[in-house]
Amino acid sequence: MGWSFPRRSFLAGAAASAALPARLSAATAPQAISPRPGLVYVLNSRDATVSVLDAMTGVEKIRVPTLREPHHLVYTPDRSEIVLGDSAGNEFQFLDPATAAVTRRLRISNPYHLLFSPDRTMLTVASLRRDQIDIYDAATLELRHRLAAPDMPSHIAWSPDNRVTYVTLQGNNRIAAVEAATGRLLWTAPTGKTPAGIIHDARHGLLVANMGEDNVTVHAPEDGRTLAKVRTAAGAHNVFPSPDGLTLYVTNRVASTITALDAGTLAAVRTMRAPGAPDCLDFSADGGQLWFTQRVANRVGVIDIETGVVIANLPVGRSPHGILFHALPA
Amino acid sequence: MIGWIGEAWLDLKVWIFQTLLLPGLYSAGWMRWEEDAFEWLDFALFGAATVLVSWIVCGPLEAALPVERRAPGERSTVGTDVTYTLLNRLGLVPLFAFVALQPLEVAWEALLANAGVIPLTLETMLPALRDWPLLTFALYVVILDFAEYWRHRFQHRFGWWWALHSVHHAQRQMTFWTDDRNHLIDDLIAGFWFAGVAVLIGVPPGQFPLLLLVMRVMESLSHANVRLDFGRVGGRLVVSPHFHRVHHALDHDEGVDARVHGCNFAVLLPIWDMLFGTARYGGAYPPTGDLSGSESLATGSWWGTQVEGAKRFLRALAGRA
Repeated sequence: MGWSFPRRSFLAGAAASAALPARLSAATAPQAISPRPGLVYVLNSRDATVSVLDAMTGVEKIRVPTLREPHHLVYTPDRSEIVLGDSAGNEFQFLDPATAAVTRRLRISNPYHLLFSPDRTMLTVASLRRDQIDIYDAATLELRHRLAAPDMPSHIAWSPDNRVTYVTLQGNNRIAAVEAATGRLLWTAPTGKTPAGIIHDARHGLLVANMGEDNVTVHAPEDGRTLAKVRTAAGAHNVFPSPDGLTLYVTNRVASTITALDAGTLAAVRTMRAPGAPDCLDFSADGGQLWFTQRVANRVGVIDIETGVVIANLPVGRSPHGILFHALPA
Repeated sequence: MIGWIGEAWLDLKVWIFQTLLLPGLYSAGWMRWEEDAFEWLDFALFGAATVLVSWIVCGPLEAALPVERRAPGERSTVGTDVTYTLLNRLGLVPLFAFVALQPLEVAWEALLANAGVIPLTLETMLPALRDWPLLTFALYVVILDFAEYWRHRFQHRFGWWWALHSVHHAQRQMTFWTDDRNHLIDDLIAGFWFAGVAVLIGVPPGQFPLLLLVMRVMESLSHANVRLDFGRVGGRLVVSPHFHRVHHALDHDEGVDARVHGCNFAVLLPIWDMLFGTARYGGAYPPTGDLSGSESLATGSWWGTQVEGAKRFLRALAGRA
């Protein structure tokens, strides 16, 4: 007779998380990592915390508790707050980006990935765990539409005209397009294996990182047909446009690299080593650095884009996932 | 020291994952399970640690203060329990439960969402708890232990459930390895039981692995073949080997219906037995086992006891037990 602790679900009756408490020390961090000041928010999904790093020193200034399992975060439409989705905690937590103070909380069912529409009127939430896509009113956060979307809805993109929200379906190797006004499924289309990150690119269409393969596929936004396939490296996980719009960076989970694509031609121009199974990334205030989460190594890496070299490896909590670089006034 | 262990632990985990698991999942086309696999690795390594610590703590105690020694020539049946423990704590049994229940979990979560139900947590019910994570963890332990007390009572109350649970009770050579000796169907039911509790209070926080380890060792210790009592006060705070051995007694005073009435059902906290009148303190260290069980259930292999338990379960369901 015995019982185990169910961590995030009843499955397995299990769950003991196994690592020892996260290390708060950042003693090994070099000085002046980022030339401009900022706070870097890192969601430690298995510690239920947010590490807030000083961008210049790499020192963890504060660790903010969440409820259970935070994964992704974005600015609110007016950029006055950061909202993070705590999937197992069923909660949005809002933070003041300048101070990391918790400003409010909102109960919401299993938010995994979240993204506001370009016009800031709607918010799409993908629930990986309940196979549903939700569309909320961005101002009131009232649910407008809920759509069953098997299997494993993962990451979200929006069309620039706010008409369609796109979601990768990790479990059945497809993408779904949903009409935002009605919540109606417009189409689904095949991608590569285990699609994860997705963005809408004005020049090329939908770019989908296929984690079960070594490529990014390009799809037509109107019907999802595959237009091209761009090879990166094993475990292509997510795509991030640089602030200047000239480059697309692709994190490759299995290869532990980041591939730089020319945003105009989609040609792979460079591959950078990124240890620890890179997941999400954000850019430093000056655009010269990539700050990326090392999902399995409990660290955040910083790559100097000019040299392509990892210049810092900063300890954070367990299973760091979403990351956001908030610039502060100099 | 703890920092060094933590670093080594992390390095080992990262190495196993990035060198073996992740490339394997990628090659097999199973990347959709990548995050779960990482969690499973965590679970397996933690389970290995609990086995090791349990062995370090309980092994010497069993050698020094045994309740019973095996008679010369008597065959050891502890190997079956070792198999149970390894299959469970290294993650294979939970993996079975995961595969079996994952589609149900997705449907359940969607059903709740569609019904407008957002599972609460203790912290959302009592916001002050957000500032007291350790207290929150302790409250979850208490509530889940309470739920487990009642699950255990029901295991003894209903014939079909007892048929499954008797796999656990059949062992006559009870040792610290016996803790995980449970039928697979019983493990699945436990999953559903926790799901019900989770709807009411949410899932507990997972950031106290060392405390979880202590709890797991205490559960193993409660089954140990060791003459150990925690005294008048301690024995009322935490389940001791003596307290739990009385629960496993071969023959209770109540007679043929003993399994229904029974005593000392608590897993970790004996207060539930005290509150509900099922606590029994004092007395000898009785022999353990199940009079209603067959010899194959008591001495069979892992597979043999699973088959026998399933047969008993089906017979009970058909009303022929």
